[in-house]
Amino acid sequence: MELYFEDIQVGQEMPQLVKGPFDKLQHVMYAGASGDFNPLHTDDDFAKAVGMQGGVITHGMLVMGTVGQAITAWVPKKYLKKFGVRFSGMTKPGNTITITGKVIDKQASGGLITCEIVAQDETGDVRLTGRFEAVLPSKN
Amino acid sequence: MADKSKIGKEYAPIVWEVERGKIRELVGAIGDQNPIYINREIAVKEGYKDSPAPPTFLTVPVMFSGSMATAVVDLQINFTMVLHGEEEYEYYQEIYPGDVITGVPKVKSIEEKTSKSGRTMDMVTIEIMYANQRGENVAKARTLIVERK
Repeated sequence: MELYFEDIQVGQEMPQLVKGPFDKLQHVMYAGASGDFNPLHTDDDFAKAVGMQGGVITHGMLVMGTVGQAITAWVPKKYLKKFGVRFSGMTKPGNTITITGKVIDKQASGGLITCEIVAQDETGDVRLTGRFEAVLPSKN
Repeated sequence: MADKSKIGKEYAPIVWEVERGKIRELVGAIGDQNPIYINREIAVKEGYKDSPAPPTFLTVPVMFSGSMATAVVDLQINFTMVLHGEEEYEYYQEIYPGDVITGVPKVKSIEEKTSKSGRTMDMVTIEIMYANQRGENVAKARTLIVERK
């Protein structure tokens, strides 16, 4: 189904996406796929030695990747113009994150929409915030 | 303190051939089952020339080239105190399998900040503009590296 600029209202929420629980196997897969072989994400002994008491932490870019999944499940990839995040907390194996978003602006000239996004863990702690911009086609 | 004299410095270009299998691996690891990334026919039906690279694909050339690590060492940033603070992409064109993209990492800014708790941090922004084999800009990546003191 095509998504049009006219279908979007300021304040409208992006369909929520729940991801996880993250696990260590996924970290290994992501390391191999992305090329981020920092052992902080795959080696508990290493992670503990550098101060992560609970062991490995999830790649920030994996979490951002799941936010990209949430966005492009709603707004087709071809309309996405800008996507940025700020990492505000560490995600760990066992965490489940919920990604939500909201339209905060619409610019009729050019069909630009701006949305805020947030990823929270199962306790409500914010792990990432961000925003994206997309240019949607008009029905006219 | 990161070396402020290096603001504006450019590093060796990252040259990366985009493979269909790498796109599949990346969305597989993310758990993104959107068929456009793995099925060319569906992607074409949805208005793409082929399966497009997903939104965070540009982490792949950076990580496999070791380019960010090179910058961190050159800027005399303490690697064990580094946090990935922010990541942002601007998209100008789709990136497709078979494209050869070239990105030039550049030190955009180096700023010192003090957190609410009084801790000082260096904020280093690295920008990479990527062009494809036709010389067309496809995307820009901006990475904020935070060095805790």
